[in-house]
Parts: sequence; C-alpha cells; structure tokens
Amino acid sequence: MSNPGKKSPPALGFLTILRQEPHGLFGGYLILNALGRPLEFHCTAPIKPNRAQEILYGPTLDAFLYGEQIGRTLLKQAGIEPLLICTDQETTLSVREHTELPVALVLPQDEPPIESIVPENSPQKILRIDGAHRGGPKLLSFDLGRNRLALPTRSEDDRRKIVERLSGIAENLDLAEPFDRIRGAIAEARQAIR
Amino acid sequence: MSIFLDSWTPWPVQAGYSWAQPPAPEVGSWNFSSAASDKIAVNAASLRMSPPAVVAWDCGSILPQAISIALPRTKIGTRSFVFPAPLEIASPPRAASLNKTDPPSGCASTGSANPTRIKPPRDVIKLEDRLCYLLQPSLEALLSEGALGFPFRPFPYQFEGVAFLYPRHAAILADEMGLGKTMQAITAVRLLLHRGEVRNVLLVCPKPLVTNWQREFQQWAPEIPVMVVEGDQARRAWQWRLPDVPLRIANYELLCRDRELFAGEKGSGAFCRNGPPGASHKRRLTPFPRPHFDLVVLDESQRIKNRAGATNQVVRSISRRRGWALTGTPVENSTEDLVGIFEFLAPGFISADMKPRKIGRTVSDYVLRRTKDAVLGELPPKMVHDEPLELSPEQRASYTLAEEEGVVRLSELGDSVSIQHVFELVLRLKQICNFDPATGASAKLERLEADLEEIAESGRKAIVFSQWVQTLERLGERLNRFGPLQYHGKIPAKRRDEIIRRFQEDESRHVILMSYGAGGVGLNLQFANYVFLFDRWWNPAVEDQAINRAHRIGVDGPVHVTRFVTTDSIEERIDRILQEKRELFDIIFSDAETPRKLGLTHEELFGLFRLKCPTLPIDVAA
Repeated sequence: MSNPGKKSPPALGFLTILRQEPHGLFGGYLILNALGRPLEFHCTAPIKPNRAQEILYGPTLDAFLYGEQIGRTLLKQAGIEPLLICTDQETTLSVREHTELPVALVLPQDEPPIESIVPENSPQKILRIDGAHRGGPKLLSFDLGRNRLALPTRSEDDRRKIVERLSGIAENLDLAEPFDRIRGAIAEARQAIR
Repeated sequence: MSIFLDSWTPWPVQAGYSWAQPPAPEVGSWNFSSAASDKIAVNAASLRMSPPAVVAWDCGSILPQAISIALPRTKIGTRSFVFPAPLEIASPPRAASLNKTDPPSGCASTGSANPTRIKPPRDVIKLEDRLCYLLQPSLEALLSEGALGFPFRPFPYQFEGVAFLYPRHAAILADEMGLGKTMQAITAVRLLLHRGEVRNVLLVCPKPLVTNWQREFQQWAPEIPVMVVEGDQARRAWQWRLPDVPLRIANYELLCRDRELFAGEKGSGAFCRNGPPGASHKRRLTPFPRPHFDLVVLDESQRIKNRAGATNQVVRSISRRRGWALTGTPVENSTEDLVGIFEFLAPGFISADMKPRKIGRTVSDYVLRRTKDAVLGELPPKMVHDEPLELSPEQRASYTLAEEEGVVRLSELGDSVSIQHVFELVLRLKQICNFDPATGASAKLERLEADLEEIAESGRKAIVFSQWVQTLERLGERLNRFGPLQYHGKIPAKRRDEIIRRFQEDESRHVILMSYGAGGVGLNLQFANYVFLFDRWWNPAVEDQAINRAHRIGVDGPVHVTRFVTTDSIEERIDRILQEKRELFDIIFSDAETPRKLGLTHEELFGLFRLKCPTLPIDVAA
C-alpha cells in the first residue's frame, strides 16, 4: 500500500507489538502527523509461533516475528510513508531489515545513555554466528529534543537521517507517548471483535 | 599363524543402480611357522588359489528417512483504519491573549506525567470512530496545540471533566457545587470551537448568572467573543439571526419569550422584522430561519426538570446537534427531575417508571458526578451541624395555636382538602418558627446574633439563607451592627454584582442575607467561612447549592454550616423527609442502599399533620 513516491505531509510511524497470552502477539502501527493527530492505524490479528518455529528459529524467533512477520506486514499496509518509524521494543528494531525507513528505539527519558550493551573487550563475550546474537555493541543512543533514541550500531547512518528529518519539530515531540495510544487501540479493537 | 587378507570392500550402494560382482581379488597366505629366519621368500605362483565364495549384501534397506519440517510464511490478518485529515486549528476568533510562544501558564504540558485521555462515549459504536477518539493526543496536548492557556492551573479532575464533555453529544456534568463546572464547560466549548468541531454555541442560564458567565468566559477563554442575547424583541430577533457568532448567552426567561423562533422545522421559523434594532418597523416581515446550534449548554439545568413546563418545552424545541446540561443537582426531588433533563439530551432514553438503580446504570455514561470529598482532598472541610433550638415561649404559644387551628380547619375541609391547603399551613408554621408574628421573638435570631458577634470579632464573613424576603428584611433590621447586605428577589439584577463586590471588599460587611432563589446558584462566595440556613428549603439539593456558594475552590479555611431546626415543630418533621431525599440521590449516583422511601408524597405531606391523604400521590412538594 505504501507509495514512496507519494508526497505526504510529514508523518511519524509508531510500531509496537503486544504479547497477550494465551492469544499471542498483536501488532499495532500508528501514523501521526507532526502535531500528533492520527492519520492511519493498522493492527494485526494475533499470531503465535508453532513449536517447530520455536525450535528452529531458536533465539532469533522474536526478531523474526516482531520484525519480519508482524512489522513488515504492518508497514506494507500503510498508505503514508512516515519520516521514521519509532518503536519502544528493541526486538522490533529488526524491522529495519525490511524497510528503507530509519527505525529508532524510543528509550524512557530516565534511561542512561547506551554506548555498548556488550563491551567489545568483555571477557564474557559470546561470539555467535547469527546476527541477533553477535557480540560487540548493539545499540547506540542519542538525544533528540526531549527524547532519547537508540539505533542498532549497524544502522548508525540512520541517525543523521533522523536528525535531519525531525529538525524543527523534535523539540515539541514526545515520541514515547503514542505507544500508550496503540495499546489502548489494540485493546479496544480486540474488545470490539469479541 | 595365518592371515587372510581380503582387499575387497563393498561398493557404495546407491538406490536405482545395479552392480556386478567384482573380479576375484588376489589372495595370498603366508606361513610364519618358521622361526629361524626373518626373511620370507614367497613364490606368488605357489600362492595362487581358487577364488573364494563371495556373499553380497543388499544395502538398500538402510536408506535414511528424510523428514521435512515446513516453515511456511504465516499469513497475518490485519485491519486498517484511515482517519480523516485533521482540521487545521482554527484561529482564535479574536486575538488570543496567549500565543504559541508563550507557554500557557500552569497548563499541563504535552509531557504531563498523567495525561488525560479522551475516551469515546459508549454510544459511539463504530470501531473506526472509537479508535479515532482513543488515538487522539492527550487533552493536555490538544490544549497545548491550540495554545489555549489558563489563568490558573486546572485540577486533574477538571481535565477529566473536559475530556468527558468534549466527545459527547449528550452529557450531564453533575459535579458537586464548587468544583468548577463552569470552567470545565468553558474549556470544552473552547476546545470544540478552536478545533472547528462546533461553530455556534448557545449557553442558557438563569438570568442572574448571565454576568457571571460573561466574567468566567473573559477569564477562561478571553479570545472567544461572547454575545449576550438581550433587549427588546426586535433586538433579540436580530441577535438570534446574526451569523458567525461563536457563543451566545441567553437566560431561560428570555428563551421562553422567544419560543416561537425555535419552533418548527429546521430552516423554518417565525416571521420577524428584517433589519437591525432601530430599523423601520414598517419593514416587511420576512421568514426568520429557525436558529440552529451546534451545541446548546444548559446551566443549572434543574430548571427544566418539569417535563410539562414551558422552559423544558422551549429548550427541547431548539434545533441542535449536541446538548450538555450542567447541574449540581440532577435529582432534586425525584427521578422525574432527571427524566426531564434527559428529555432535552436524549428524549425517551429513561422513563420515570424505571427503578432508581436501573436509571443510575442507564445514565452512567452520560453523567459525570464528582464530589469534593472524592477529588479535592486539599479543600478545607465543610463542617455541617444541625442546631436544634427550642422555640421561644411566645413562638411556642403562637405555633401551637396555629397548628391546632390549621389542623382543625384541614379536617373540616374533608375531601375538599387540597395540597395547597396543607402548604399554606406548613408555610405559616415555618414562619412562626422564624419569628413570632405578634412579638417578633425569635430563638433563631438570638442564636444567630450570638454567633455573628464572634464571627465579626474575628473579621470573618457569614451568609444567612432564608426562603422569605420578609424574613431577610427583618433580619437586616435586627443585625444592623454587622453591616448586613441583602441579596434577594427584591434587589434589582443590575445592583447585585455591586452587592457581592461590597460584601467581598468591605471589611465592615460581615453578613449577607440571601434568599435561596437569588443566591443559591452560580455565585462564588468562597471568602465567607460561615453559612447559616435560617430556615430549611424543601429539598436538600437547593440547600447544598446554597452552602456551596462558600464551600468551593478558593476557600481559605473550613466552612461552618449551621442549620437551624426548631424542635418539636414542622421543621423537624420536614428535616426527616429531606434526609430521605438525600438517600434517593445517593442511590442513583452512587452505590448506596435503597432508601426507605422515595420523594415527598402526598401522604407524607398530609402526614406532617397526621392527616389521612384524600387523593393520589403527587409528584413533589416543590
């Protein structure tokens, strides 16, 4: 549905995924204009990995479900291409592999800055061949307006894009707030479907 | 020792291939029995032997079983909602006093710790519409977006009140008096106007409160132009017809006079003279388009509690898209009161024959009721005490005589006795409880004077309420040393604001004498710490309204309320009925137990004099 060539007013995407047992994972993707007014909302029916997926995806399962399965599906539904996609879950950052848009993790404002989650020279460093668990620093955080954002180190170039795209509006934005709205909307949608 | 060597090894077996027996290998054997020599000479020809029998195995039976585990890409169901493009924030109709660069003083910012969410009303059914509300920014953010500032920091419950009103097309804000219903309604109206969701609003209030609303709008929404509908018929007709007026204020009485303008189908209406006030009366009469309002707000909406009343009829005839009612007392006497208000908000939604508890459940999404105790922990306490007083000997003598004569007369009337006869006697006895008609003796006045001495001494102020102007005037004469001011039906409306101002500012004015009718609603008298109910009104809601003139936001200490009740009198008997009415209110708006009796019935009124009721129950006494 997304049309990259389409000129839209500046918009921001917010993607989060809720785990609600026993149903599984519900994804919600909210697109707001620069004033925080809703433009689009997309949500998924619940999905649950089967046993085979659990075994075979192993520790990469969540990244697969959050990013590839749910995240990518929701992003494809959107008619508006936002300036960036924000998420409040580190796992959902894996959606970056499936979109050209920068994806940032919104950290709580009282979160200390992240420089390296697993220091390079850590004696306990575990080297894994799968991307989700490779050693070395994973996230780098930076402040933008009143917000503290983090990016995977491999997407560090996105930082420049984000700063550029949000220049002038970042000061007035509270990027953590819309996730509550998504949770409320998913709860409402579930109730309506029941 | 012999060694048998077999250089043959089985060939790899592949399914679908046949194989031929390989040529016989060369086989040799050595005899190591000679220990004498380390060197062995072997004659190959002597070793040549006939080939041995070869056994072949079919290894096809050990083919591994391959198990494929499918990891198909899961198809995920999605639902999408696209919302209409948000309206641009409307420019304030007049230059706003606060602009975007000035942070609103005291306004909770977008990043408020506990932002107030606007929740969809229950009657919004469509999921898309419900989500549109749920996905809006917080109320604080919406206000901040429009740079809508406040002169004072609103309380969180006031934001909740605004969030309650804002999305509703039918609502009653029934907060206890003094919690700021006015400010909440103004802010909700303001937000709707700024967001372009409404364009013309009509606010209807009792006549004495018109100036109060003007003042409040000036304070809380100074950028909104307010038009007060007033003057003669021609002027009013012109005012009703003016386009692009965001907010009109009209009083109930005036509305009743202009009732013909609101009757009929939308777009139709009465005939009126065309032209502004003062224009020639000979102008041709032209059809007056029936006024339509995006929102009609009724202040003190208990004024329309009587469904058959003219006021109720006229407000119901106003063409409107939304309707809100503001009242601290949605139920004054019986559930009929609430039904009357709902006939304006959502006709037929509730009926008087529903049980109170069911009514409570049915209207719960339409009514927001908060009490000071619940939301204002920091508000100084309201200390209410009943002051039982013995009638003076003169009063007792007059009272006994009047009651005996009255009861005898009622008895003599037999079946022709009416409720009016009973009322006359009740009023007569209540007046004697205030003052002895012959001597002017008054147990209540004596007590009041004693209390006022102390109050004046401490530089405090008091409000005295009575239902009779005559009583207030009499009190005015007797309490002269306390600088009394009077505020009742005999005081012209244009002088009333000045009286309130003097009471507030003049330190020598320690007491204001008010009638329940004139002073019971809409006034802010939080600078008075003492309230006396010299006599009792017919229902507790009106008394509460009166008390809450003083006990409201801004009061700087406890409010002492004294309710005079003369013992062994009609007042004591009425007091018991008032208590039962309080219980009715509680059961509709809280989880209180079912009251023993509901409302004031004919039987109860007659029962005040131990008389048998000759007719069917009546609605209410007042």
